[in-house]
Amino acid sequence: MSSGSRSSRQRSHSSRISDDQIIQLVSKLRQLVPEIRNRRSDKVSASKVLQETCNYIKNLHREVDDLSERLGQLLSTIDADSAEAAIIRSLLSN
Amino acid sequence: MSSLQPNVDSTNSEAMQRSNPKKRRKIGHSNSLSLVPWRSETQQRIYSSKLAEALRHVIHRNPPSPPAKSSAGREVRETADRVLASTAKGRTRWSRAILASPLNRWKLRRMHKKVHKASTGLPKKSPETRRRLPVVQKKARVLGRLVPGCRKLTFPNLLEEATDYISALEMQVRAMTALTELLTGGGSLASA
Repeated sequence: MSSGSRSSRQRSHSSRISDDQIIQLVSKLRQLVPEIRNRRSDKVSASKVLQETCNYIKNLHREVDDLSERLGQLLSTIDADSAEAAIIRSLLSN
Repeated sequence: MSSLQPNVDSTNSEAMQRSNPKKRRKIGHSNSLSLVPWRSETQQRIYSSKLAEALRHVIHRNPPSPPAKSSAGREVRETADRVLASTAKGRTRWSRAILASPLNRWKLRRMHKKVHKASTGLPKKSPETRRRLPVVQKKARVLGRLVPGCRKLTFPNLLEEATDYISALEMQVRAMTALTELLTGGGSLASA
């Protein structure tokens, strides 16, 4: 598992990735995923965080898919000019 | 008022990036990757306007009668992803991966879902991988497959990419929801 020749050279210099850094990153992930954020954060294991993260990303993907389906249908049925006008109007008014 | 702020942020972060030209993305530098404030409203507005313009091209490419409604969704999704990646300013790996191969992504996705490699035993056991529990290793692999372009990243880099990707996706959902509501309201007004 190598992500390029440069990074493998770097890995040998920085030896191991420290646990603190991993914990830091995992805690950052923990704060992002709403499922975990609402529970008590101290008792969540790393694998659970990863699992919830994967589920969350899948959910977000599905939401984006649904939204793009709806947008696609809307775009095909709506007149193009009025759609543009509505978008521009909203951007101006904000 | 608020539109001035992101400009200042981006110039500051760009200056910081240029001051360390030789340092690669090490984990200690927390400001190395996610420089785009995905949560800010201005960012969402930037994305919405870019998306609106890109979608306008899509509309004009398929004039009055679109070919098939099933493909429109995919086109919108691809457009949205591409605009999201361009809004990321190319500093993250996932954004570069999206911009690099827009056509192959969806076909590869469907192929990969069917192909289930039964390679549970790792051929190489470098010191890092032995430290991780195999369960975590498996989950990290799944995560690497979900985030575009991050299949062969080291674990900490993968986590960094994932955090940025999640924030970006959330913003994408918010912007597209707002756009949908806008078009729904605008459509009913126009037809009346």
